[in-house]
Amino acid sequence: MIKSSYRLKQLIFRIIRIVILLFLAVLILAPILWMALSAFKERADISTYPPTFFPPKWTLFNIKEVFRLIPIAMYIKNSVMYTVVVTFFSLLFNSAAGYAFARLTFKGQNVLFTILMASMMIPFQVIMIPLFMEIFYMGLFDTLVGLVVPKFAAVIGIFFFRSFYFSLPKQLEEAGRIDGLTEFGIWLRIIVPLCKPALVTQAVLTLNSCWNDLLWPLLMTNNPENRMLPNGVLYFIGQDINDYGPTFAAGLISLVPILIIFLFGQKYFVSSIVNSGMKE
Amino acid sequence: MNKIRKIGAYWNKPQHAAYLFIAPAFLIVVLFTIVPLLMSFYVSLTNVTTYLADGKFIGLKNFKRLFEDEYFLNSWKVTVLFTIFDVPISIGFALFVAALCNNESKFNSLMRSIYILPIICSSTVLGLTWELYLDPQIGLGNYILQSFGLPKFSIFTDISLAIYGIIFISIWRGFGMTAMILVAAMQGVSTSLYEAAELDGANAWHKFWHVTIPGISSTLWFVFITRVIGSFQVFDLVYVITGGGPAHSTETVVSYIYDKAFTHSYKLGYSSAAAECLFVVILLCTIFLYGRMLVGEKKGGVDR
Repeated sequence: MIKSSYRLKQLIFRIIRIVILLFLAVLILAPILWMALSAFKERADISTYPPTFFPPKWTLFNIKEVFRLIPIAMYIKNSVMYTVVVTFFSLLFNSAAGYAFARLTFKGQNVLFTILMASMMIPFQVIMIPLFMEIFYMGLFDTLVGLVVPKFAAVIGIFFFRSFYFSLPKQLEEAGRIDGLTEFGIWLRIIVPLCKPALVTQAVLTLNSCWNDLLWPLLMTNNPENRMLPNGVLYFIGQDINDYGPTFAAGLISLVPILIIFLFGQKYFVSSIVNSGMKE
Repeated sequence: MNKIRKIGAYWNKPQHAAYLFIAPAFLIVVLFTIVPLLMSFYVSLTNVTTYLADGKFIGLKNFKRLFEDEYFLNSWKVTVLFTIFDVPISIGFALFVAALCNNESKFNSLMRSIYILPIICSSTVLGLTWELYLDPQIGLGNYILQSFGLPKFSIFTDISLAIYGIIFISIWRGFGMTAMILVAAMQGVSTSLYEAAELDGANAWHKFWHVTIPGISSTLWFVFITRVIGSFQVFDLVYVITGGGPAHSTETVVSYIYDKAFTHSYKLGYSSAAAECLFVVILLCTIFLYGRMLVGEKKGGVDR
C-alpha cells in the first residue's frame, strides 16, 4: 500500500517534470521556428489576423526579395571570410601558445602567464575606443587586416589548450626528440594530431562567435561593402515597412549556415559550453 | 651557412623554442588589449575627437561633465535594473531546469540541446525574431499572450515595458547555456554523497539543498560572477531591438558609450571616461564577489 502510493507520487512527479521540460522546449523553439516558417509565407498571409504558424501557401518570393533589397550575397561572403580566417589563425596561435605554457619550461613563464590571465579581466567595451583609435592610426581601419588580426589570439583559448595539453602523457616529446624531430615538428606531428577534439571544440566556438559577432565589425568597418551579416541585416530592423517577408527571410538566411554546423557538431558545442564553466 | 645552422640550433632548444610558440598570441594580446587599456587612461583625460593630435589634456573635466549628465546617470540606473533582474532570475531558473534534466537520458539530452539553441542566433536574428514575434499586428507571440487575456501591447515601444522585454529575451537566450554548465557540475558530484544522505533518510529536496548545492557551489559562483560582469556590459540586444529608446528607457552604460563615441559625434575622450567608470565598477564587483566566494568556500568546507 505504502509502496504503491510512493510509486504513484514518483509517476506524477515524472509527468510534471516532462511537461515542464517540453513547455520550455516550445518556448525556445516557437519564435525561431515561426520566424523560419514565416520566411516562406506570402505577403497577405503574414499580415492576416490571427497570425498563422505554418505558411498556408509556400513561396520563395521573400528569399529572392532579400537579394534584391540588400547585397546579402556580399555580406555572406564577408562573414565567411572573417569567420574562416579568424578561426584558422586563432586555433594556430592559441594552441601554439597553450602548448608552450603547458609542456615547455622557460624563463619568465609564470610572469608571462600572469600577464595574460590579468588581461582576461579587461572587458572589451572598456578598451574599444582606444582600440578603434589604435587601428585607425595604423591605417588599418576598414581593412580586412584590421578586422581580423586583433582576433587572432584569445586568452580563454590559450587557457583551454593549456589545460588540454596538461592531460597528455609526459613522454611524447622525448620520443619525438629521439626521432630527431625539431621542436616545431614535435608539436605539429605528434601533439597536434592528438588534440583533434580540443581543436574541433575551439573551432566550433570561434566559428559561432565570429559568425554572430556584431559590435566588433560594427566598429571596424565603415564602407557598406565591408559589412557582414549581423550588421547588414540590421537594415530590416526598426524600419517602418509594411512588408515583413524579406525581414524573416534575411533572419533565416543568416541562421542556416551556423545551424547546419550546430546540427553536425552538437557535442562540440556542448563541450565548449561545459568547458567555459570549468575552473582550474 | 654555419651561422644559420647555429641560429637554428639555438631556437630548436625547448627553452628557446617556447618563445617562438608564444610570440604571435602574446604580441596580439599586448598590442590589442593591454596597449589600448593603457591608452584609455590617457584618452579619458583629453577632449579627443577623431585625431589624438587634435585633442587637449583637460584633466578630470570629462568625469565632471559625466556626473552632471542626467543621461549618463540614467544609463547606470538602466544597467543596474537590468542586472538586478537578469542575474538572479536567469541563474535561479537555470538551476531549476538543470535539476529537472541532469540525469543522462536521450530525452533530457535532447531537451538540453534545444535549450542552448539561442546561442547560435546572432543578436540581430534574435532581435528581428522577437520584435516581430511580439508585434501587436502580426506577431504570433503577442497573439498567444492576448488569448490568455492580456491586452494588446507593443512592448518595445512602451517606455515602462521595453527594458523588461530586453531582460526577458536576455534570460530566454542564456538560461540554457547556464543550465548546461550546472548540469555538468551536478554530474560531477560524487554519488556516494547521495547514498550517504539517503541512509540518513534525506528526501529529494534535502539531497538537492544539502548535497547538490554545496557540491556545485564553485561552479555557481563562477556562473554568477560571469553573469554579473556580462550584465554590466549588455549592449547587443539593446542596440538591435530598441537602440536605447524609447526616450532613453533602455539605454545601458555601454549603449551610452557607443552612442557618444560612434553615433552622433566622435567624442572619444568623453566616452573613454565613461568606459573608465564602467571598468572601475566591474573591477570592484569582481574583486568583491571573488572575495565572497573564497570566504564562502572556506565556510562550506565540502571535500571534493
